[in-house]
Amino acid sequence: MSQPGQDAKFFQRGKIEEFRAELLAAETKDKKFVKRKTVLKKIVANITMGMDMSPLFPDVVQCLGTPLLEIKKMVYLFLVSYGRSKPDQIHLVIPNFLQDCNDRNPLIRALAIRTMSYIPIPVVTEALSDNLRHALKDRDPYVRKTAAICVAKLYSADPRKAERGGFVELLRDLMLDSNATVVANAVAALSEIGDRQDGVIFKLNLATANKLLAAIPESSEWGQIYILDSLLRYVPERHTDAEMMAERIIVQLQHGNSAVILTTIKALLYLMNYMENRQLIDYICKKMGPPLVTLLSSGPEVQYVALRNILLIIQRRPTVLKNDVRIFFCKYNDPIYIKLAKLEIMYRLARAENAKEVLAELQEYASEVDLDFVRKAVRSIGRLAIKVEAAADDCIQALLDLIETKVTYVVQEAVIVIKDIFRRYPGKYEGIIPNLCENLDALDEPEAKASMVWILGQYANIIDNADELLDDLCYTFLEESTEVQLALLTAVVKLFVYKSKVDKAKELVHKVLKWTTEEADNPDLRDRGFMYWRMLAINPTVAGEIVLSEKPPITTDSDRMDRGALDQLLLHTGTLGSIYHKNPETFIRNAAGKALKDSPALNAHSRAVLIPLARTQLPSMGPIVVAGPGPTEPQAQSSPVAPLPPAKTDVDTSALPTQSSQLISPTQDDVANDQDETEEDDEPPHSTQASKLDPYSNLDNAFGGYLADEPRPMASRQHDDDDDLLF
Amino acid sequence: MALDGIIILDHYGRPIIQSGFRSSTTAYSLLHIDAVNNALQKAERSADVDSVIYVPPSNTANGSSACCHVEVGDLRFLCPVSGDVDPLLAFAFLQTFIDILREYLGTVSAATLRDNFDIVYQLFEETLDSGGHPLTTYSNALRDIVIPPSLLNKLLSVTGTNFNSTINSGFGAGAAVGPFSSPLPWRKTGVRYNNNEIYFDIIEQLKAIVNKNGTVVSSHVHGKIEANAKLSGTPDCSLNFTNPQVLDDCALHPCVRLHRWNRDKMLSFVPPDGRFTLMDYTFSSNPLTSPTPTQQSLPSVMSSRSNLAIPFMIKAIVKLEDSGGSFDVTLTSRYSTHALENIVADINLGAGAGGIRCNVSRGSGGGGFINAGGSRNLDTSGASSGASWSFDAQRTVLRWEIPIVSPSSSWSLHGSFSTGTRAPRPSHAIRVRFDISSHTYSALKVGQLKVTNAKENYKPYKGVRGRSSGEVEWRW
Repeated sequence: MSQPGQDAKFFQRGKIEEFRAELLAAETKDKKFVKRKTVLKKIVANITMGMDMSPLFPDVVQCLGTPLLEIKKMVYLFLVSYGRSKPDQIHLVIPNFLQDCNDRNPLIRALAIRTMSYIPIPVVTEALSDNLRHALKDRDPYVRKTAAICVAKLYSADPRKAERGGFVELLRDLMLDSNATVVANAVAALSEIGDRQDGVIFKLNLATANKLLAAIPESSEWGQIYILDSLLRYVPERHTDAEMMAERIIVQLQHGNSAVILTTIKALLYLMNYMENRQLIDYICKKMGPPLVTLLSSGPEVQYVALRNILLIIQRRPTVLKNDVRIFFCKYNDPIYIKLAKLEIMYRLARAENAKEVLAELQEYASEVDLDFVRKAVRSIGRLAIKVEAAADDCIQALLDLIETKVTYVVQEAVIVIKDIFRRYPGKYEGIIPNLCENLDALDEPEAKASMVWILGQYANIIDNADELLDDLCYTFLEESTEVQLALLTAVVKLFVYKSKVDKAKELVHKVLKWTTEEADNPDLRDRGFMYWRMLAINPTVAGEIVLSEKPPITTDSDRMDRGALDQLLLHTGTLGSIYHKNPETFIRNAAGKALKDSPALNAHSRAVLIPLARTQLPSMGPIVVAGPGPTEPQAQSSPVAPLPPAKTDVDTSALPTQSSQLISPTQDDVANDQDETEEDDEPPHSTQASKLDPYSNLDNAFGGYLADEPRPMASRQHDDDDDLLF
Repeated sequence: MALDGIIILDHYGRPIIQSGFRSSTTAYSLLHIDAVNNALQKAERSADVDSVIYVPPSNTANGSSACCHVEVGDLRFLCPVSGDVDPLLAFAFLQTFIDILREYLGTVSAATLRDNFDIVYQLFEETLDSGGHPLTTYSNALRDIVIPPSLLNKLLSVTGTNFNSTINSGFGAGAAVGPFSSPLPWRKTGVRYNNNEIYFDIIEQLKAIVNKNGTVVSSHVHGKIEANAKLSGTPDCSLNFTNPQVLDDCALHPCVRLHRWNRDKMLSFVPPDGRFTLMDYTFSSNPLTSPTPTQQSLPSVMSSRSNLAIPFMIKAIVKLEDSGGSFDVTLTSRYSTHALENIVADINLGAGAGGIRCNVSRGSGGGGFINAGGSRNLDTSGASSGASWSFDAQRTVLRWEIPIVSPSSSWSLHGSFSTGTRAPRPSHAIRVRFDISSHTYSALKVGQLKVTNAKENYKPYKGVRGRSSGEVEWRW
């Protein structure tokens, strides 16, 4: 007798012939089917070990008649593993399947249809179709809920056949079932079908959505997730519909399951686009904060997903977690990916009110051991100075203290950010330049060196020995990286403009121009050299005005992702898309994109940034085009998401069969009404970067690589106040 | 939304058992196993591996996918996902599945999995559909369809020959009441106990960061109430607290009626059978009246959560010199009634540290007074008072352990270390973990527990316990 719990011995490699003989022997004198059970266990153990047991197909199938559930389960397991590869023998099993479909025991009925649905061979599918129709109306909920999922399998085996068979309609009926689990599974199956590129579109109307909500309290957590997720397929027609629905699901934020919480938040974020009640939106934002914080007390895996999502959410709804920056302070022991994610959130949440606290933390991190983290922390101090004017003085002091440490990589990072601070607050902090000059020798990385050179050139008029310093730096001109060479070229030209009387400057600019035009291989460098040379030759005064023209001060306010792109990404809250901060259809094949759908209830602010979605047909071969994170790329390139077409058509969406492929344009009137508040969003939000297969390759940027928030001219966007983002 | 399956790897990264990946090729699961093993190999600390690994496609015909993974004891559970899936769904499901395994097998290890592979297979089948939909995960319902090994053993020995005839038309165990006959997915019908009892454990964990001036920078108490219900029939419990205002951000088990809780802060529920987590919460020491949609509350400037006092104090004097340094750390309990137990303080001395010389001792204060509740007898004489230190040369972590810190006593650790590099770079933080028994930070008190049962009338035995732990990062 094989006792469960002591089955490790079955993990021995066996020969097909031996098993066959044993099965044969077991047909006689097998009291209580013990022998058969033992052999089958051995066979299943061998499947686990990756041995091919398929030659035993006819022998194993023989056991299906054994009236013992345990044996039946093992044979079915075998069938699931090898059924697909035995289209010529599978007909042997059909009678057993049919018999089991009508068994008294609901477990066996369910087991039979489930197993059949795993074998996508026409004979089996044929037999399944008939029985599935009965199973969907079975009196036992266990069978019904299993059958619901099987419809999705049948659909993937042969979509058109499943449609002709009326299974989609049967599933729709199941959404009104009395059993909550059956309802949830029907929703899951319909969603799976709806997410297929060739699937029947699954959308909900108000009545069905309300019916589904009623099933939530009795569903399992997985069922709740399906139902909450399906709410994104409901397009509210009136503000009140969206508001009432949000009020109904907001209690789910108290659920113990982290996936339920995040799905609820996703649904709420979606519904908020269709609301107009300011107070309610504000209230919901407040309610979303605490559950997100609770997620952070889970293991690092869950924390990571939560942090990535929080980063998205607070960009779109800054009131969420506004006062909770301390929660994101890094622990020494946090894994590095958690630390980096927290750092980015801390920066996003920093305001004048909490800047002191945040700065103190950042200073702490700057003395840590992990090199990568230290660099990011130093950069964050600089970004903080640029973002929060009130904290700029303290940040500068902190950076100077860090430079004092003489730790080379800290000094280099500090120099890089200080360059930007100079540009953000012109005429305010130039007094610290001597401190920087003292550390010239510590700089060996191109970016830091180029930054320092920029400072030397830009402020050559107030740095007494700028000519000497630049001269020193030029000793190794030809060995430098292009980045540094370009910076040096511009810097010496600036020096010359400032101090055209000084012999050294003249000599230097001549030397560098000669190098760049005669010895440099890099065409950019050469071209720039020629350009300067000619400018200086034709009219030195005008050249000076051009080279030293006033630069617009910069800001990091614009480093948030574009509103419309955010709205779209938030539809994927909690999914891979939100982790990579990319729309999934750009990196997952066959993923259906999501876009907000227009409706009379869509509030004007969301409509103004609405990005219509084309159901992208990805090329079946070749590289997949991946869109970079919003802010990094230059604005206008070929874009996977079509930019807003000039809106003329007044589309009444309620009257049309809403296909996600439809381009829904905002009406001219609506845009005009809100022009003053939304002019920030008039550019195409998302642009591509040519094929990068690995979405992770960009993750560094998404984490707040400095590029991601390359400071930009301040003039273009100044009106991103929080109020605006409430809608 | 689809989870492609589960793969369980052993300590060496070899697969032990995996669910059938039916909607994908066999190479698919191998691809994920390789991806995880490669990532683990590359990382310095296994904890530094992203918990969601991107897995590039093996050929152009397949799309790319991602692998969510989590470590449990000597095992690693992988959950490959393709399509736009919620990674939290994967993690939540993995956690649930691991909990189920624990309940079925006792301990989850490579050995127990191999011993019960048929049970694990059945569990795979019942909990995760091949299309990636989680199915039945309430252990109450699962036990009807997949018989736990211990129960099966018992059944086999008791029912003997009758077993075969019954099992095909129902179940040996649940033949009287069919599976899924219960209207509540988390509780099966027909539960019966001779002794009816229900226990609650209130467990709170403090996480805090203290800066070098001794100011608490951030602190957070996360609590949960774990229950163990052994009640007959379908009992309806209602539990209230004398001070529910200390509870914040509550996350409740699905069995709790949410509207009752929102209305009168009463936990009203029909409990699952056995162990479950009734609620998770945050302790807010500074409760604000929660804002309602009708009244707009003013945004408070600073964090609404005020900081909690840390139960101990640390004075650390660290002197760094060329190629080494010395340290003198004193830990003093701030509690006057409760003892801190199992104190573990970790200091990372940075790369190249070694040559540790240390001395642990018990300082003044506290005298020989030991928590009256504790029956432990402590030797209070100097260094031999149970405190010890050790050094993990690989991770360069100096660990200081004190089994029990009696109220107001103080302890110290001083010594020196040397480094291979010229400038020592120790972490500027001491990580301290500790436990406190029979104590909660929130002082949450159960007011009343009522168990009503329509059919049967019994008076269950009820019990509530509290315990706390903490993890404090103290910077110097």
